[in-house]
Amino acid sequence: MKSVPISYVFRSYPFFLLDILAIILSGILVQWSINWHLAVRQGVWAIVGFGMFVVLLSIPYKQILKVSFPIYSVLLLLLLLVKVAGHQSHGARRWIGYGPVMIQPSEFMKLALMLVLIWFFGKMDDKEGLPFAKVLVAAGMAMAPGVLIAKQPDLGTAIGLFFCLGVFLFLRGVRSRTFFTALWASVILLPIGWQILWNHLHGFQKDRIRTFLNPESDPTGLGYHTMQSMVAVGSGGWLGQGLKGATQVKFRYLPGAHTDFAFAVFSEEWGLIGAFFLLLANAYILWFGYKTAILCRESRGFFLAAGMTSLFGISFLVNASMVVGILPVVGIPMPLLSYGGSALLVSMMGLALVLNVRVHEET
Amino acid sequence: MLEYTRVRGLSGSGSSSGLNRRFIPGGGSFFRLASTPRKRLVALLFLLGAGFLVLLIRLFEVQIDQHEKYVKLAQGNILRIIPLPPLRGAILDRNGQILVGNGTNFVVSMIPDEIRNKRRTFSILSRDLSLPPSDLRDAFDRMRDVLPSYIPIPLKAHMTTAQVGRVSMDLYRLPGIIIQTIPQRTYLQGALAAHLLGYVGSLTVGDMKKSYARHLPPGTGIGKTGVEMEFDSILQGTPGESRKLVDSQGSVIRKLEPKYPTQGHSIRLTVDFRLQQAAETALGDRRGAVVAIDPNNGEILVLASHPSFDPNQISSALTAKTWHDLLNNPDHPLTDRAIQGLYPPGSVFKVVTTMAGLKAGVIDPAKPFHCNGIIFLGGWAFHDWKRGGHGTLHLRRAIMQSCDIYFYRAGMALGPDKISQMAHNFGLGSRSGIDLPSENPGTVPDREWKIKRMHQPWYPGETLPFAIGQGYLTVTPLQMARLMGVVATQGFLVTPHLYLSSDSPGVFPPEKNIRTNPLHNANFSALREGLWAVVNEPHGTGHPVRMKEMEIAGKTGTAQVISNRIPEGGAVHEKIRPDSWFVGFAPFVKPRIVVAVLVENGGDGGDVAGPVARAVFQEFYRDYLDPEARVQPLETMKEPHT
Repeated sequence: MKSVPISYVFRSYPFFLLDILAIILSGILVQWSINWHLAVRQGVWAIVGFGMFVVLLSIPYKQILKVSFPIYSVLLLLLLLVKVAGHQSHGARRWIGYGPVMIQPSEFMKLALMLVLIWFFGKMDDKEGLPFAKVLVAAGMAMAPGVLIAKQPDLGTAIGLFFCLGVFLFLRGVRSRTFFTALWASVILLPIGWQILWNHLHGFQKDRIRTFLNPESDPTGLGYHTMQSMVAVGSGGWLGQGLKGATQVKFRYLPGAHTDFAFAVFSEEWGLIGAFFLLLANAYILWFGYKTAILCRESRGFFLAAGMTSLFGISFLVNASMVVGILPVVGIPMPLLSYGGSALLVSMMGLALVLNVRVHEET
Repeated sequence: MLEYTRVRGLSGSGSSSGLNRRFIPGGGSFFRLASTPRKRLVALLFLLGAGFLVLLIRLFEVQIDQHEKYVKLAQGNILRIIPLPPLRGAILDRNGQILVGNGTNFVVSMIPDEIRNKRRTFSILSRDLSLPPSDLRDAFDRMRDVLPSYIPIPLKAHMTTAQVGRVSMDLYRLPGIIIQTIPQRTYLQGALAAHLLGYVGSLTVGDMKKSYARHLPPGTGIGKTGVEMEFDSILQGTPGESRKLVDSQGSVIRKLEPKYPTQGHSIRLTVDFRLQQAAETALGDRRGAVVAIDPNNGEILVLASHPSFDPNQISSALTAKTWHDLLNNPDHPLTDRAIQGLYPPGSVFKVVTTMAGLKAGVIDPAKPFHCNGIIFLGGWAFHDWKRGGHGTLHLRRAIMQSCDIYFYRAGMALGPDKISQMAHNFGLGSRSGIDLPSENPGTVPDREWKIKRMHQPWYPGETLPFAIGQGYLTVTPLQMARLMGVVATQGFLVTPHLYLSSDSPGVFPPEKNIRTNPLHNANFSALREGLWAVVNEPHGTGHPVRMKEMEIAGKTGTAQVISNRIPEGGAVHEKIRPDSWFVGFAPFVKPRIVVAVLVENGGDGGDVAGPVARAVFQEFYRDYLDPEARVQPLETMKEPHT
């Protein structure tokens, strides 16, 4: 596998690249409508992300996979470092860095976990899927950073790691006995476990679940996020309120408008038509990524393209569902649209890897 | 890796090729559909595709289907609407004399949203107002849960100039406290006509639940009794709004053009201020009521009740003690005796007995009758009010001197039901339909009523007191005026009303000038002659009412007070004196006014109630009929009917 000239890639897949660029620009526009500082910073991160994109494209993905374990280890160490010396904000210790350059190792961990899982278990050498022992090892690899991240606390990113593991195991397949054991165990244990969990939940956690089920019951309290988000989306209508008329954003009624609820802002400003085109743009990325996976004849390439694309799609769906009140509020940002350097970099790098597979398989 | 052959399509159908076998082992024993990573990838694609579809449907639902709802919610977020109370319409008498207007009331209010330190605010205010902080806190707590937190809650109304001054000096350190100037209802004539005008009270939490008052701001006056209550929707006006755009922190971003409140419509009443004043002056300190109506159309000229109260006191700084005193006063100053007080009509009721007797042929005006002052029935003796009786007389003198025996005889011959039926024809026993709240219908007994109410048959001995207006029979002074109106107009029963006109043609006018003619074929001449004699003959019981300038006719009444109206302890002696009535009309030809006067425990009807009625008649003559005085004929005072 040789490296491919970047210019060739740009000429071959202009639509994919323009699609990504369009989503990023939409995100920057959303940030602009909130505060121009955010837009500028996001723009800078996008440029950095573009650099990373080019770098990741120019190295064949197999070579990247080879160094996946060192990357994973370094990030795990960084997570430990965050725990002791991280930058604290809003009661959570997630960031590391100096001055304006703050990164979230936890975001990068999603990428690294997927890489390391593919590196270790991506070879299709046994016919029955992964045996029980290997599944345990894979789960351990996810659990180690997962616990650290969940304790930051950052439930959203920890759930993201769980998606990584889940998507990989689902695609990779596990031995039927392992699968059925797990299935039956969960069927039996889930109601009991739920009962125990419910009994151990704090009052406010129960309230959170209840208000998710009916956000209007408590519009100023716990359902506030969901309610304000839906008010923003709902007041968008067909064509949206425009950049100036979006009052939910302008008068600061929507908390987390620039990060987790960027999609709500986008929907308020651009309406259903805008949201539809954003959906279309993301759907194209999924289509492109899955097509890449299907075309790929090499198992690790397949898993890399399929895994990254699925992670992208799941993040998009979970975030959008949360914004329109289908799912409870968990801190999973919308890929490419939400504000946040680390998240933007991770999304772009993930898509760079997809394109990497496509390029190196087709040449 | 460069020598593969391309496999198109999404299915992982690949056990045929060597490359694929290496690549996709799956597990044959597993679900067929998800047997290979490729197939599972396709499944995942479908899953995500379904997710996209659900998302799109949801977006449509929220953004298009429920768009209106969320736009409203978004506007509710940013718009702070603070209601501005409207100015109540004035109430005028028929000549344009203002009876009720508006003054200014300084109110200190608190906007919960803008309060920084509640405890400190209360303590500063309590010092400035010289009030215990608990009073302020109570006022705050009462309204806090009912209202949105950006609406000012009134803490103390009717501040004195000194209080306004002290609070204004402290406003700089009292964020969230404002001084509002709210229009204050002012009753320019004080206690005059207080019952008929009613009073205004603050909108209560209970009032706010009424649909009609739902949008009124707190502290708005709302009519609680009288004309203020009956015509509240006309007088009220519509509140305005001051509108501000605020952000999620409650900071004001921009003030929008306010919607100014509109003043309520003014009402002109049929009441004549000068007549009302004359009536109340003549009544003096005595307990009683005066009603004067135009018998031709039911317009009320006077509606007075004593003792009275000052509505200003109730509408403004009403203290618990004042209110308690008013409620527990043994003279019941809050009761409108003219429409709520129930009294036996006494001899005035002989008008009804006369008409019933004439109709049934029991009374013949030409037939002489001998009265020896006593009549026996079932072993009981019934006396005339005059010891020794009136001697031989005809109907005319029986009415003129109010001979009881004459009407006992007539009553015995008639029986209770015929008298009762005639009483109903004169409007007794039912509400007159006046445009005021809480009118009492009174009671007209008959056999059926007795069985229903007392579970006893009617005893013949009860017909006698009934025939002279005693016993179970009770009436209001207004009903008596209405009754005499029937005699004055020779058969027409009017619906009395207070509403004359309003300054807006758009508001609903109550149906005016309704009259019925229940006695259309009766002959009133014999009765009218008797009533004329009551006042104008030297020996008539109503002779004190006589005026040289205008012929008056009427009937006196001296009604025995029923024992259950004697209060416990106290002034028993005074309270068992009979109630005093005079009900009459004038001029005798083409009557224009009916006056009914009741004086509680007044004693003799002609001597006590008569002069009060005369004062009203005199004022009426001076104002409306005397060509030499400053006269305006009644007709020109009327508003054109809309």
